[in-house]
Amino acid sequence: MVKEVAMFGLRSIVAGVRALFRKKQMEQEMDEELRGYLDATVKDKVRSGLSQEEALRAARVEMGSIDAVKEEIRSAGWESTLETIWQDLRFGLRVLRRNRGFTAVAVLTLALGIGGTAVVFSLLDAVLLRPLPYPQAERLFRLFPLEGKRRRGVEQASYADFRDWQRQTHTFESLAAYDGESLNLTGTGEPERLEGSAITPGFFATLGVSPVLGHEFRIDDVESVAMLSYALWQRRFGGDPGVVGKSIHLEGRAYTVVGVLPPQVRFRSHPWATPVSDIFVPVVPAPARNWHSVRVLGRLAPGVSKEQALAEMDGIAARVARAYPESEALGIALEPLAQYVVSDASQTAWLLMGAVAFVLLISCSNVANLLLSQSAAREREMAIRKAVGAGRGRILRQLLTESMLLAGSGGAIGIALAYWAIPLVGRIAPPFSSLFSRLQDAHLHLNWTVLVFGALLSVLSSVLFGVLPAWKAARPAQSSFAASRAGGMRGGLVALEVALSLVLLVGAGLMMKSLLRLLDADVGFRTEHLLTMQVSLAEAKYRTPEKQAAYFDELLRRLSPLPEVVSAGATVDLPLTRSETSNTVEIPGTHPKMGTAGYHAVSAGYFRAMGIPLLNGRELGIADSASSPLVGVINRSMAIKYWPNENPIGKTVVVYRLFRERTPAGTHVQFNREVLAIVGVVGDVRQLGLDVPPDPELFMPYDQWPAEEMSLVLRIAAEPSSLIPRVEKEIWRVDPDQPVTEIKTMDEWVAREAAGRRFILLLIGAFASIAAVLAAVGIYGVASYGMRQRTHEIGVRMALGARGQQIVWLILRQNLSWLVIGIAAGLAGSLALTRLLTSYLYSVRPTDPSTFALIMLVQIAIAGLASIIPARRATKVDPMVALRYE
Amino acid sequence: MKSSELVQGTLDMLILKTLALEPLHGYGIALRIEQISKGVFRVNPGSLFPAFRRLERAGWIKPEWRPTENNRRAKFYQLTTLGRKQLKTETEEWERQLAAITRIMRAPAIGNL
Repeated sequence: MVKEVAMFGLRSIVAGVRALFRKKQMEQEMDEELRGYLDATVKDKVRSGLSQEEALRAARVEMGSIDAVKEEIRSAGWESTLETIWQDLRFGLRVLRRNRGFTAVAVLTLALGIGGTAVVFSLLDAVLLRPLPYPQAERLFRLFPLEGKRRRGVEQASYADFRDWQRQTHTFESLAAYDGESLNLTGTGEPERLEGSAITPGFFATLGVSPVLGHEFRIDDVESVAMLSYALWQRRFGGDPGVVGKSIHLEGRAYTVVGVLPPQVRFRSHPWATPVSDIFVPVVPAPARNWHSVRVLGRLAPGVSKEQALAEMDGIAARVARAYPESEALGIALEPLAQYVVSDASQTAWLLMGAVAFVLLISCSNVANLLLSQSAAREREMAIRKAVGAGRGRILRQLLTESMLLAGSGGAIGIALAYWAIPLVGRIAPPFSSLFSRLQDAHLHLNWTVLVFGALLSVLSSVLFGVLPAWKAARPAQSSFAASRAGGMRGGLVALEVALSLVLLVGAGLMMKSLLRLLDADVGFRTEHLLTMQVSLAEAKYRTPEKQAAYFDELLRRLSPLPEVVSAGATVDLPLTRSETSNTVEIPGTHPKMGTAGYHAVSAGYFRAMGIPLLNGRELGIADSASSPLVGVINRSMAIKYWPNENPIGKTVVVYRLFRERTPAGTHVQFNREVLAIVGVVGDVRQLGLDVPPDPELFMPYDQWPAEEMSLVLRIAAEPSSLIPRVEKEIWRVDPDQPVTEIKTMDEWVAREAAGRRFILLLIGAFASIAAVLAAVGIYGVASYGMRQRTHEIGVRMALGARGQQIVWLILRQNLSWLVIGIAAGLAGSLALTRLLTSYLYSVRPTDPSTFALIMLVQIAIAGLASIIPARRATKVDPMVALRYE
Repeated sequence: MKSSELVQGTLDMLILKTLALEPLHGYGIALRIEQISKGVFRVNPGSLFPAFRRLERAGWIKPEWRPTENNRRAKFYQLTTLGRKQLKTETEEWERQLAAITRIMRAPAIGNL
């Protein structure tokens, strides 16, 4: 049976195709067959006694119209439908070619709408639709310890807690821990700072990844083993298949390479803050339960739900915390790894999708409007078609074919635009955001998904803008009532365009104001002419604090006298680089107070180099050495917070010094209480980021608080980046094996801080501009259509003495109510929608009245201009010509 | 005698039946249907020729150009093996339906109860 149906279908296809190709012969045979039939009929009728002429007439009457019969025969096969479509297409192309101006505007409008949507869809695809490169990734979860009475979730857990959870869990197939670790690679070629991760044994098995070479860390691989990313293996080791077993130098120590990862693994120890890890070393166990040093992830056992796992893990953490009072993890929170990695990028992607959907809607209503005006001009054509017997369906099909043609061409151009714009968007994406990481990892480009989406979108939009005008044109007769309804349709579409573009403009306005306020924020120091860079010392080489301090002393001594260097300093953490330094402090006294402040070890010249003003007391000096009493300088916020009505100079603060010691058993961590005296107060600095208000900060001389990683700040008289080679040469003169990273001007850091908001502003601003232009085109189109319709009336009025102003008003008034409705709806829509922007705004409320007012004025100006041009043209109408117009 | 419309959907079956005896051309088929039905059914060319096309596509009949009795060329249609099978199933189906309809029509009127 199935075979017969298949045969039937096949025969039909073959016959249809043959008919298409042998059309001429088929037509001839049909003619001959029908002629033969007619002849036979006539002959029969003559035989029964009619004259030749009478017989012929009777036969013709019986047969009816020969052409109609032929048409029926032709439409018996499927290929005739194809032919109709082909005819419609050809006719549609002719129509579109004849109205070049209309076609160009419509196609361009659609190209912008469809192209823009395809671009944003490619972002959405990269951020949300591309799965993680791990098998059954939906079973992977991040585990966050919950701390304190409020059960606040934190990123890191203590290693000891992690080990207990790992031993006790049944709902997780496996748990693994990791943390970010940057390491200096030396020995082969230039010294290089590598981004990497410290991982526990079984980490990659948990992710479901096996190395392409070698194996991952085993329980007994405690130290001195390393794994390479595929990229690093290719770049630094030339893809050497014998790399496993070889020795490399990290931090001045020898590590044995045990494995190489497959290329699709792009692991980041922090999904939006760090580059892809190139090197992996084992996590060094640390027994202290208050030392939070690892991030935990796990793979759920098959068939276990998230809720079951959560219940079990929460219980385990609570039990561990009861058994060890110093453990701070009182519970556990779970987040799917995919969600953790995507983070706020999905919000951004959806926000942009919403914005671009508005643009698409505007472009569709614009084209619908154009088609409505067009169909008024084609009323005669439609009337003739109906008169010669075209059915409603036939006309509908013809007009929808034209719409498809428009949408198809618009879509094709739009996709071409997207092909060019998608990599551009990838480039301007803000670095150090989950969006950037996702776009990088997904290798953003115009792919098949986006292409298919663009094609579907073209079809969808052709229906969106085509159905209404086509349905209207195919309707039987045009009454004046119908005409006025069409006017209402046009007006409604314009109101919609005005409303949607107003919402986008308000969004862009709010973002613009935020960005200006952000860049205008007082950071507390002079950002221009500052060159910054990071120097991380290898642990094996600079083992003691004294050696570390001596190195940086030497470095500053060499850099300061360089000709263009005005002043030089060093700090553990540069402002505006998002490094969190908050720590516990204790304010002694009759009522000791516990509090927090950022700890910063800085060099003597740091404040001067940065341009941070000294408000009170003295700066830190060379005299504040390791052997002299401990001192500190606080910022204004700290002075106000802890000594609101007193002079803080001479007061003491208790701080905690971290001691970390690596032993074969693991890292031992200890905090020592130490007391320091406050010697000065400096101005507030935006430490964490541009949009984060100042917090209490405490600055301490780095000779007293040495660190292995410092950032240098050089105030330079010339253009800062021009000095980079000189500075690098000096650094390598001290130690040729020393990598220097993050060489940037402070202005670059500031720009990076603003990059997220700038990205949103750029895209929403682009969409809002397109929307405004399209809406203006729409208003213009409707106004000039209205003018053309009333040319006769205008002529009469002018002949009767109406002045130009009155005529302008006549045309303006026509659309006024629709514009007012559009603007009102746009304002209401903005009020409802701008709160979606809240998390991107800075010191601007989503309902900022001045932005709303300004944008409303802009929109009124655009609408006014777009309607006044055709209205003014109306006054140029020659009454005599106008009266003859009909 | 007044000619009437064909029963819906029976034209294909009638054409097949007509061709079961011998191959015929279009006019011949129309004539044969009219004659056998004693003029009750009259088939107009507007439905006859599309039906040929349909049956041809289905593979039930096969066209062939042959000389006619008065030495002109005409397109004769011939029943294929497949067509013969189709005629058989359609005849059976038709008889089944006819019997059912007849039974219904001859049933006593309900209004008399």
